[in-house]
Amino acid sequence: MKLPKKWLCEYVDFNVTDEEFVERMMWRGFELASIDKELQNVSGVITGKIISLEQHPNANRLKVCQVDIGDKVVQILTNATNVFEGAIVPVAYLGAVIGDTTFSKANIRGVDSYGMFCSGHEFGLTEAEYPGAEVDGILILSEDTPLGMDMLKVLQKDDIVFDFDLTPNRPDCNSIIGLCREAAAALGQDMKEPQIKHVKGEGVASAHVSVENPVLCPRYCGRVLKDIKIAPSPKWMQRRLRAMGMRPINNIVDITNYVLVEYGHPMHAFDLSCIADDHIIVRNAQKDEVVTTLDDKQHVMDESMLLIADPKKGVGVAGVMGGLNSEITESTNTVFFESAVFLGSNIRHTSRKLHQVTDAAARFTKGVEPVNALLALERAVELVEELGAGTVVGDVIDVCNADLDERQINVDVEHVNRLLNLSLTGEQMLELLKPIHLYGSAHKDTIKLAIPHYRTDIESGIEADADIAEEIGRIYGFQNIPSVLMHGDTFQGCVSEEYADEDKIKDTLVGLGCLEMYNYNFTSPAALTALQIPNGDERMKYVKLLNPFGEEQSVMRTTLYMGMLTSCARNINRKTGHGRFMEVGNVHFDNSIVLPEERKMIGLAFFGEKESFFTLKAAIIRLCEVMHLPAVRFVKGGCDCFQPGRKALIYSGETLLGEMGQLHPDVQDAYSISQTIYMAELSYLAIRSCKHDKVRFAPIPRFPVVGRDLAVVVDNAVEAQALIDVIKNTPTDLIIDEVELFDVYRGQGVAEGKKNLAFSFTLRAEDHTLTDDEIRTAFDAIILELANNNAPLRQ
Amino acid sequence: MIEELLKIKQDALERLAAAQSEAELQALQQDVFGKGGQLTSILRTMGQLTAEKRAAIGAAVNETKQELEKHMNEARARYKKKAQELRFLREELDITEPADFALPKGALHPMTQTYRTIRDALVGMGFSMFGGPEIELDDNNFTLLNLPLDHPARDMQDTFFVNEKVVLRTHTSPCEIRALQTLKPPFRLVMPGRVFRVDEVDASHSPVFMQMEGFVVDRNLNIANLKGTLDAFVHAVFGDDVKTRLRPSYFPFTEPSAELDISCTICGGKGCRVCKGTGWIEILGCGITNPHELQNCGLDPKEWTGIAFGLGVDRMTSLKYGISDVRYEYENDARFLKQF
Repeated sequence: MKLPKKWLCEYVDFNVTDEEFVERMMWRGFELASIDKELQNVSGVITGKIISLEQHPNANRLKVCQVDIGDKVVQILTNATNVFEGAIVPVAYLGAVIGDTTFSKANIRGVDSYGMFCSGHEFGLTEAEYPGAEVDGILILSEDTPLGMDMLKVLQKDDIVFDFDLTPNRPDCNSIIGLCREAAAALGQDMKEPQIKHVKGEGVASAHVSVENPVLCPRYCGRVLKDIKIAPSPKWMQRRLRAMGMRPINNIVDITNYVLVEYGHPMHAFDLSCIADDHIIVRNAQKDEVVTTLDDKQHVMDESMLLIADPKKGVGVAGVMGGLNSEITESTNTVFFESAVFLGSNIRHTSRKLHQVTDAAARFTKGVEPVNALLALERAVELVEELGAGTVVGDVIDVCNADLDERQINVDVEHVNRLLNLSLTGEQMLELLKPIHLYGSAHKDTIKLAIPHYRTDIESGIEADADIAEEIGRIYGFQNIPSVLMHGDTFQGCVSEEYADEDKIKDTLVGLGCLEMYNYNFTSPAALTALQIPNGDERMKYVKLLNPFGEEQSVMRTTLYMGMLTSCARNINRKTGHGRFMEVGNVHFDNSIVLPEERKMIGLAFFGEKESFFTLKAAIIRLCEVMHLPAVRFVKGGCDCFQPGRKALIYSGETLLGEMGQLHPDVQDAYSISQTIYMAELSYLAIRSCKHDKVRFAPIPRFPVVGRDLAVVVDNAVEAQALIDVIKNTPTDLIIDEVELFDVYRGQGVAEGKKNLAFSFTLRAEDHTLTDDEIRTAFDAIILELANNNAPLRQ
Repeated sequence: MIEELLKIKQDALERLAAAQSEAELQALQQDVFGKGGQLTSILRTMGQLTAEKRAAIGAAVNETKQELEKHMNEARARYKKKAQELRFLREELDITEPADFALPKGALHPMTQTYRTIRDALVGMGFSMFGGPEIELDDNNFTLLNLPLDHPARDMQDTFFVNEKVVLRTHTSPCEIRALQTLKPPFRLVMPGRVFRVDEVDASHSPVFMQMEGFVVDRNLNIANLKGTLDAFVHAVFGDDVKTRLRPSYFPFTEPSAELDISCTICGGKGCRVCKGTGWIEILGCGITNPHELQNCGLDPKEWTGIAFGLGVDRMTSLKYGISDVRYEYENDARFLKQF
């Protein structure tokens, strides 16, 4: 809300610096958005009189002027044709600023110039504001203008405008009067509240009003004016409207806008001659009833919307905008002023449904109140008379179903003190509340307060104590309440395992060289299709958004792959030189229950020369080790987004942890990725459910181990893991450990379609050092077992 | 014989002095102490001597032996040291050559790091972790938080809808409802998570961001406690020099409501572009839990008081590290991520 300082000064004595005022308002809950000069782009331009005017010796179109700027005479060049000796003009002398230009001495074809003359354009002036402002040339000022005077003062545009952010609970401050009330309290003064003079009308008003839906329209006030003389509004009103960022139109429209700003209540003026039978009807619209609003937009209404109508037609969308058919024009003779209260939620609904966002609708949505509706109307009528814009007819028409009684609330003094950590008496509280017009009486444990009509935010129910605590808090000053740690019972604070495990997983992956990604949750069905996920797959059961930014962000991700791939592509294109990434994030599935199923997933993406299926596998195994997952296995299979034969499902025991693989070349193309990418996705829940909770110490072997190698020749299709299992499970008295594949060889010396696999392993016994015989027996048993499984020893 | 011994000793010391290598020392050892060595030969002839002489010679031999061994050992140590010095010289590294990494540098996202710092500060004050889903009931996200349908403040947080009753949560505050419905007060909770708002992406907005909510319900809580708690964690995140300012504000789910400003982390409070010249930066909204919210969840607001605060981890991260554009935080450029 804008607050011009001059306007504020009509109600209070501004007795502090601007900075002090702004700070005091801040402590009361009104944060400054900006503080602007009324005219921001101009400074230092002064008035000067041209005392002589000569032709430039070397330039036909330039004139050399001697200009009296009050304390001295300066030389200024101009190419303007409308200047003359004796003219008083605006002079941008050295140091003056217009827009981005700061004026300094210039030399044009051998003659110095100490600045420039200005046109009305530089001050954003219209002809209406200053005669001659829009001529093609320099602004010629009136003859009685003093010399050396600041132009902003001459034009009365030297005000400054505070702009405060308002919180939604204070719609009353979305008005000059409301904000000035708070400003006066902040400045420690009583506000000189304006007194509205009730204007008695002539005769009897012809118009009458019927409100058919008092729930949606609790109060409807109106007044008739005749003999309207449409004219520009006076300069003081125009200036104020401009300072508030509004464009003056004519006296009647300007009055409604002025009252809107001053009292914060939206009003509307109808041309009464366009209202059939002079009868205003406030009713719900019929289905498909069409109204054309002032901005020439046609609106198709429905039964949920409130319409202002006459017996024949709609003449306005209630609380949103008036109708074009009853607009004030140059020829308007009789006017009907409307000042009503419409239910905010209904106006919000209508405004949204019709896509018609107006200042009036916004104000009704935030809440207006019935007492102010009449005040605003009375003020508008007073202005009509003051401006001589018309004659008031009859009395106020007031259809009121609203409760206008002053509200009383009871406040628990001890509770307020408890919330604020203060120990005030009821009397002290009353004293603090006085400046903001909350008056009342102190009783034993409570204070009883009368709530002014405009403080709609203060409730009388269970919130009353808190509401008044807030008021006392902001007046007493949060800054004056000390900072104290909580005391009382001790709490055992902890990061539960549910969260600590996530830390552990992330830390492990970081140790393995991964950078952590954060990708958006939004994706598109097309992105999932590009992953070649078949239609029946769970991952196609995505959650759709009703109001997404666009198709590309229309659904919630069901896997981390899409976001990670997009980010990988970005890194590859930008040649960032890193190829290990991880992300821990949630995915959602539309399982047709109340809320979608949420699962936390761990995504991995590896790429670059050093990476392979097996470097990714290593990272996953290391992660499983750190998390103490038992019996981790990699089994052929996995998502269609991976290349066939290069993908695996990962199990711990019988629990599926996730999958990994090399990205399918078609998917790679779909994501415009130029490198081979290895990806994995693991379920956080699965990892946590398999986690070995109680790790127990196993004694370290006391007797030496013996290492052995062997190599077998098998068919290409044989999986190494199968042979490792064969070796591990060979029946023998010894313990077989650390079975590892250390070489795979195909080629010379190995038959076509076969491969040579070399394994190493260790043998030991729990309770003694092995003898050669024992070793040989066990070794032979392993060879036999391998041979029985079609894996004969390499000859 | 004594003369012989002296000569042996003399010769040996001379050879020792002249010796140039470990090998020469080895040869000397052999010549003197070896099986057919000089001292051994003398000992062997001792059998022919009288007992007295034998004792005297024996003692002399021993003495010589010990002295020579001492010298030999010293010489050996010298040679060993010299050899080692040579080896060190040979093996000297240019330690400015690049390091050899087995793995690339990994790093936690800066937001994770900020989140952990805040979390740990709060856990130190007795807070525990609590969470809720990213896709929430409208009831939990709005209505029960004292934001009934058509409440104008719903517009403050433009919402993504899944259907009429289900939204992408616009803040972590619905976790408060879940806590109130499932836990028995008193409790102190920290509730992190992703939240969503219909905001076009720009340098300071993102439709997806991370919030953390602090929520305490107890019998005797007040604004002073809120200030104390916030001061403690702000100092943990930004350091003890940072000043704070609690300023009245409005949120439907708190009453009284406030916003917390900290002295600008960029200019230290002098005024700059980041703080728009004010010297202060707003970092979070907070307040005393609105009595309606407590009542909606079955608690008596006269008996119980809540304090709550919600902050944007993205924003805190930007401020902590001086990140000028929030888009960096979701682009995942390795050159960005590696810096933290």
